[in-house]
Amino acid sequence: MSAIQTQPAILAEEPPVSLWRDAWYRLKRNRLAIFGLLIVALLAFTALFGPYLTPYDFLSQDLAARNQAPSLAHLFGTDDLGRDVFSRVVYGTRTAFLVAVVVTTIALVIGTALGAIAGFFGNPFDRVIMWLTDVTMSVPNLLLVVVINASLKTPIAQWMEARYLATLNPFYRETVWIDFLLVFGSMALISWPPYARLVRAQVLSIRSRPYITAAQALGLSNRIILMRYVVPNALGPLIVAVSAGLGTAMVLESAFSFLGVGVNPPTPSWGNMISDGLRVWQHYPHLLAAPAAVLGLASVAFSFLGDGLNDALNPRGSK
Amino acid sequence: MGAQPLLKIENLVKHFHVRLGAFGERAATVHALDDVSLDIAEGETLSLVGESGCGKSTTGFTILNLHRATSGKVLYKGQDLTALDEKRMRPFRRDLQIVFQDPYSTLNPRMTVGEAIGEPILFHKLATKAELEGKVAALLTDVGLPPRFASRYPHELSGGQRQRVVIARALACQPKFIVCDEAISALDVSIQAQIINLLLDLQEKYGLTYLFIAHDLAVVRHISTRVGVMYLGRLAELGSRDELFQSPLHPYTKALLSAVPETDPALERNRQRQVLQGDVPSPLAPPSGCRFHTRCPIAMEVCRHKVPRWKEARPGHLVACHAVNGE
Repeated sequence: MSAIQTQPAILAEEPPVSLWRDAWYRLKRNRLAIFGLLIVALLAFTALFGPYLTPYDFLSQDLAARNQAPSLAHLFGTDDLGRDVFSRVVYGTRTAFLVAVVVTTIALVIGTALGAIAGFFGNPFDRVIMWLTDVTMSVPNLLLVVVINASLKTPIAQWMEARYLATLNPFYRETVWIDFLLVFGSMALISWPPYARLVRAQVLSIRSRPYITAAQALGLSNRIILMRYVVPNALGPLIVAVSAGLGTAMVLESAFSFLGVGVNPPTPSWGNMISDGLRVWQHYPHLLAAPAAVLGLASVAFSFLGDGLNDALNPRGSK
Repeated sequence: MGAQPLLKIENLVKHFHVRLGAFGERAATVHALDDVSLDIAEGETLSLVGESGCGKSTTGFTILNLHRATSGKVLYKGQDLTALDEKRMRPFRRDLQIVFQDPYSTLNPRMTVGEAIGEPILFHKLATKAELEGKVAALLTDVGLPPRFASRYPHELSGGQRQRVVIARALACQPKFIVCDEAISALDVSIQAQIINLLLDLQEKYGLTYLFIAHDLAVVRHISTRVGVMYLGRLAELGSRDELFQSPLHPYTKALLSAVPETDPALERNRQRQVLQGDVPSPLAPPSGCRFHTRCPIAMEVCRHKVPRWKEARPGHLVACHAVNGE
């Protein structure tokens, strides 16, 4: 009897739930997504602090201990120069995250700006921007990046060398930044179209929602309508796209490093480690297995997280 | 109707330009609203009825400048609203509000009820931040919701509760005039009655003027001061509620009214239904002359060629029909 009486009272006092919190509840119930989230968090932590925690420097060579199998001293073994593979994989995580975050941010900024302009202002902007998007998407990704890197790297390196000789400024000696600059630039160049399309579609669909008309009828300014009505409602699919995009960017970076057009040795990247490991995998499989496994894990984690976010943020579409 | 009207609508026209065909190769014009003139007096409830697609909602949207009028005038306090850009329209938006049909989609899902109602109050500087909470609570009480609902999100509320929130949000601007665009059509019948009574209570309390857009004639008969009947973008007839329901003049109004079921079974058994033949013609190519002539039971030759004049058949009872008064 008393249970019957107290039950409605408890129900009535349930705290209000925002859509964001609701999505978080749904995400928490999704085990794969939480697994992905934990791995991503671990990788992010590794990227930020890992290089300070590893027992070896990623460059320090120990020629007496080359090509060792995994052991307690070297968790993932050592490579052909006696470098600790674990430390290199950890440093590679930093490379992967740096590239993924910077590339995705640049692509997101370009894509959001162009997509919002196309969706909000309509033709002729829409036509030109969508044409540009289609053209960019129709160019084979790898080819474009290879062409950019191959054609720009040498001239920039030569220019840097000349600047160094002229000014003796040590800044111009840091050629590793050319790698990063070209990788960032070329990857961002091929990564923005999906964001532009997504943002344009979001803006178009939200613009025609009745609550936008309602906001206009209330006399609210365009700025408030944009910031308080359009952006919060457009964010969901964008978060999903960014999560998936980060994973894609990591794989892409590895693919470019593997082909030798990305981040170059001695800076460790999973891709160039896999490339090195592939040559000797029959003798020293751990040199291939360690970076490949971590890359696979990262890719799967982002994919799970992205799917989980999609289900959590768009519950109607997932059933 | 001796008093100065609150709103004076003169020859309002709204055409939508659309592109048809698989590649949008054919341009066409939707004649959503053609040459509509009416006055709305302060404190009255003017209802607009008609089949879907007849331009009732377009009238409401065009009056509020949510659709730009193609031509014609909307005079409010002597100011032609159709001539104003969005910025100069803003002060008038406060006075002229709207309650939409679907309460599920007219509230921003990411904002709490309190934020939704508070937004226009802060934007129009009707209260300070400190007074806001009390103001929102008062508005919620006005529409029959407990003040603690302010922290709720729309998806946690029922349809009727949401429509109350939408009404509270419209009231937040302290309006003089509210367009109720099918404001009850999406609700359950039992909830409809509650919302109608709420609208009537609020009208009395704040001296509101309503333009009530509906297709439920029983509801219209209950709440209206005057009723306008629309057909295919034009006004067919306009008169006081009793005149229009008891002695309709336009054949379309007669057909429309004959479709209303009687509550008394004895009367219902003898009810003469007058069923119109055919469908409503496309507003892309409205018929020439009187737009109703393709379905009118008493159509004459003149109806095919000549648009009937909008004339006063009896005092305060306007109609557009060649058959009335022998024109």
